Amino acid sequence: MNTEHQAWTQLRERAASLISPGFPDRVMRAIRARSSPLLVANFAMCAATAALCLVAVAIYRARLSTDENDQNLAGWSEISAQADEFGQGL
Amino acid sequence: MDESSTSSLGDRVRRAQRGDEAAMRDLIVSYQHRVAGFAYAITGRSDSIEDLVQLVFIKMARALTRLNAPDQFESWLFRLARNTCIDYLRRQKLRRIFTPFAPEHENVPEPSGAVDTEELDALRHALAQLRPKDRALIALVQEGRTHAEIAETFRTTVAAVKARLHRAREQLRQHYQTDEH
Repeated sequence: MNTEHQAWTQLRERAASLISPGFPDRVMRAIRARSSPLLVANFAMCAATAALCLVAVAIYRARLSTDENDQNLAGWSEISAQADEFGQGL
Repeated sequence: MDESSTSSLGDRVRRAQRGDEAAMRDLIVSYQHRVAGFAYAITGRSDSIEDLVQLVFIKMARALTRLNAPDQFESWLFRLARNTCIDYLRRQKLRRIFTPFAPEHENVPEPSGAVDTEELDALRHALAQLRPKDRALIALVQEGRTHAEIAETFRTTVAAVKARLHRAREQLRQHYQTDEH
């Protein structure tokens, strides 16, 4: 198992060599950037925009459905009037 | 000697939990190479180690305030690293389903100047034959975690850990010997 032990040591050394100098400072910058108020503000802005879009779509669909109902009612009224007229004619 | 090197791990963790950036940086400096070795053993990908280790430390910074027992920081950190590596491998697997990879894309050669020794090459090949969870298990043992700590990480019993570890070691030994010959 001696060679395996050596191999594990080499694996750790190889992995350590893959971490470039200045890594801790880069990570600290990334941590600060991820928790910055700017990021939170951006996220809030995205959420507000998405909510606004959803409301707009909901209003549009509601209006579309009202218009459709009105049109259908008008159509039925016309048919009903014509049927009445036809009935009176008989 | 600076203050951070003389203070105990528990103190450093507590200071980092209170938002002390120097203590946080100190933790990163202390564990960057160990976490890199651990991630390399699990993923076997040298090209994404730095990104993975960075992700582990970002997750650490976010979740550190929720760590109730600062003295158990080390096992907590390696549990975080293990989960991050397993997630990474899952995402890679999913990506492969949606992206048509050719066999040559799977075996991109290591950059020049980074050629492995025979022993390391054999170990990497042997590890690659194991399931990611078994690789994580062996890597945790290599990191000096006790069976009880590993059982907690895997949310299982110590007996189950011992049995799985025995099987994983046997498998690793078999592949390692096959690769050596």
